[in-house]
Amino acid sequence: MNQKATYLFIFLGSLFFSSCEKEISRDQKGLIIYQEQFISWVRNFEPLNPASVPRWPTRGGIYEPLYIYNPIKAEWIPWLATKYKWQNNNKQLLFTIRSGVKWSDGTPFNAYDVAYTFNLTKEYPALDTRNSWEYLKSVKALSDTLIEVVFNRVFVPGFDAVAGTYIVPKHIWSELEDPLKFSNPNPIGTGPYTEILRFDSQIWELGKNHNYWQTGRPNVEKLIFPAFSSNEQVTLALLSGKLDWSGAFIPAIDRIFVEKDPDHHHYWFPNTGYSTFLHTNTKNPILENANVRKAISYAIDREQVVKIGMYSYTKPAHVTSLSGPMAKWHSPEIINKENWTTYDTKTANKLLDDAGFTWKNKTQRTDKNGLPLEFDIIVVSGWSDWIRSAQVVSQNLKKVGIKTTVRTYDFGAWINRMQLGDFEMSIGWAEKGANPYNFFKGMMFSEYVKPIGEIADVNWHRFGLPDADMLIKELEKTSDPKKVKHIIHQLQHLFIEHAPGIPLFAEPAWGECNTKFFTNFPSKENPYGPLSNNEQPSFVFTLLNVEKK
Amino acid sequence: MNKSVQYLARRLGFYFIAAFAALTLNFIIPRLMPGDPASIIFARFRGKLKPEAIEAMRQSFGLTNDPILVQYWSYLKSILSGNLGTSIAYFPEPVSEIIASGLFWTIYLTGCSLIIAFSIGTILGIVIAWNRTGRLDTFLPPLLAFLGAFPYFWLAMFLLYIFGFSINSFPIGHAYSSAVSPGFNLPFLLSVLYHSILPASTLIFVSLGGWMLSMRNTMISTLGADYITFANAKGISSRLIMLRYAARNAILPNLTGFGMALGFVLSGALLTEIIFSYPGQGYLLLQAVKSQDFPLMQGIFMIITFAVLGANWLVDIAILIFDPRTRK
Repeated sequence: MNQKATYLFIFLGSLFFSSCEKEISRDQKGLIIYQEQFISWVRNFEPLNPASVPRWPTRGGIYEPLYIYNPIKAEWIPWLATKYKWQNNNKQLLFTIRSGVKWSDGTPFNAYDVAYTFNLTKEYPALDTRNSWEYLKSVKALSDTLIEVVFNRVFVPGFDAVAGTYIVPKHIWSELEDPLKFSNPNPIGTGPYTEILRFDSQIWELGKNHNYWQTGRPNVEKLIFPAFSSNEQVTLALLSGKLDWSGAFIPAIDRIFVEKDPDHHHYWFPNTGYSTFLHTNTKNPILENANVRKAISYAIDREQVVKIGMYSYTKPAHVTSLSGPMAKWHSPEIINKENWTTYDTKTANKLLDDAGFTWKNKTQRTDKNGLPLEFDIIVVSGWSDWIRSAQVVSQNLKKVGIKTTVRTYDFGAWINRMQLGDFEMSIGWAEKGANPYNFFKGMMFSEYVKPIGEIADVNWHRFGLPDADMLIKELEKTSDPKKVKHIIHQLQHLFIEHAPGIPLFAEPAWGECNTKFFTNFPSKENPYGPLSNNEQPSFVFTLLNVEKK
Repeated sequence: MNKSVQYLARRLGFYFIAAFAALTLNFIIPRLMPGDPASIIFARFRGKLKPEAIEAMRQSFGLTNDPILVQYWSYLKSILSGNLGTSIAYFPEPVSEIIASGLFWTIYLTGCSLIIAFSIGTILGIVIAWNRTGRLDTFLPPLLAFLGAFPYFWLAMFLLYIFGFSINSFPIGHAYSSAVSPGFNLPFLLSVLYHSILPASTLIFVSLGGWMLSMRNTMISTLGADYITFANAKGISSRLIMLRYAARNAILPNLTGFGMALGFVLSGALLTEIIFSYPGQGYLLLQAVKSQDFPLMQGIFMIITFAVLGANWLVDIAILIFDPRTRK
């Protein structure tokens, strides 16, 4: 190589590596967040359409609802509204709208924006995420600060939908030709972060709203979102300080993450109040017997499931499936009821014996016709925590003479089997909500039960109970907290009696943070909100409280 | 000359039929998958969305219950008019824009790796076949075969852990640094180059051996041919024999393979993309399949189909130039 070329080579090389220096450092002004798994970003900030996938934190961080539910404290926090009142025998709901709120472009926000948003979802049913116009009659602004919601029938749980609807600015949406095809590239919202500072396919940045109504907040200048395509990438980024806040699942987190820097690496996996289930198809001739379901439940060593399947991140499920923040709904009579989530193979065996399933040989039970008790447990492939849990369950059931095979399916195929009722046992989730109403309705409401082979979006296990229907319908008409509590107690008693599903363990909400550059994330010691950023819109509590060091 | 035109036209006719068959399969196969997109998107909310929302989503996606033939007809019509529809997973973004976002990176990463691996592999193959008792020939083929036997994602994770994480001298992911702004500027181009080193080397390392071995083997059998001995006897310089006489003939099978590989460049390198968070077609396709995004799946498959057929046609032309027998 001649000398000139050598020099050129050295020059280019040094130029190259000087630019590489920058890679190692990071932007310390912005909070770097991972929530969505995307390989390249799509510019979408439309909060209403359930079909569109807007960038996190559009729902809650850019657009805000009237009330925000805090799942850690299990209470509704007044947000764009300051108070509400049920009237006219629960057929009318009156909201007082917060005054002094401005859209990020400076236009004042008022009750007319709220009324506009609701009437928009009436005009375009595709935007009506919660199908609220099925029970709403009208939504009217009575003044700048007063909204009147009239129901066409008494339906108290409708409060969740009304209070949780994201309010959009009338002066932007009313100019649109087709709100269904709107991707809202430059959002104007009332939330704490509204300004798109940068949007590239690999990274985008969201700056704070200088007109935000909570004076002095948010504390952090901007949020940064690099695209991550796998949980391994997220873990590496967390470890190397290139990610501050994430809601990913990380296996063996104490060893992999915390131990590397115990002062800065934190996680908090509080449970959501609900449970992960072993669903049993109650249309199966054997599993339709409640005692068989209870026997299966008794046979499961939940401590072992939690330890092996879930890295001890959570706790065995309560017999009502409600725990943590939902434990406040527990009926006082539960102590006198059967507790079939304890590990008790003796009772399991007895129940199976009584149901007529006798041991054929030392390893397996058969039914009256001599057919062996055999089931498949279906799980989504790649969901390693649930697959391991299913394997433990399968081992446990072997001990009481029930043979089970764990089969994994791709998510699409799995959900299709669940919906069609084409399964025997499966690990899955159940419905959630601000109170256990959704959960019990999903578990036991007859009108949700579809025949096998027809798509059921909830109640995959196909269990209906007329007694529960009555209670649920009564609950829908009640706004008196005492009465609500009483009905929910009754529903728990029915749940314990009939065991429509088998709760396995309390469902944790994943949340990790690296406090090298930012502090005041929620934690066990400071539980002002969830650390998990996966729940919309409750992540907003963290967004508002995190501070630069 | 007339013969060559006839040959190319015949190939073109064949490709036309192949394209039509591929487009039809492209329409049928996604529809054989279980489940429907609205339900899958609903299920992704894991119980946080009310079942009533599904109807709203079906309306937005414009999912129809038209007879399958009517759907097929409108599918062909929109494909021919270049309209690939609206994506479901990335609603309401048009499919063409989503594909465009990944296409450049795929062509850059997978395409460059392929060309580099092909060139180096072929040249190495020529050289070691020429000196087939040399030291290079004894240790290179087993070494590269050994490397090639690694699953490439394993190699990718290994490189990522060593150079990206432990030594911390290469970025652990993404196509460019967050400190640069995309555009035609030096810092950005350097950043792109820097970020592609690890992912590209995994793709190159594992495929190098294949190109080299196939080139070496054909080259060796070509070197045994009579005309090579004759050329030697005539006293033609060995370099000329190696390149013009032997390599030119021996490269034909490799060239066909290159054409095939070139076509598949557009399908991306899924696992490399996932491991390095590198944007590209492979991940898009995975995402599309997961969320039953028919329009996006069809768009990507269509592009791959056309790319494979187009690349094959280019290879036909190249073979026409390299191999005089096809012209007769």
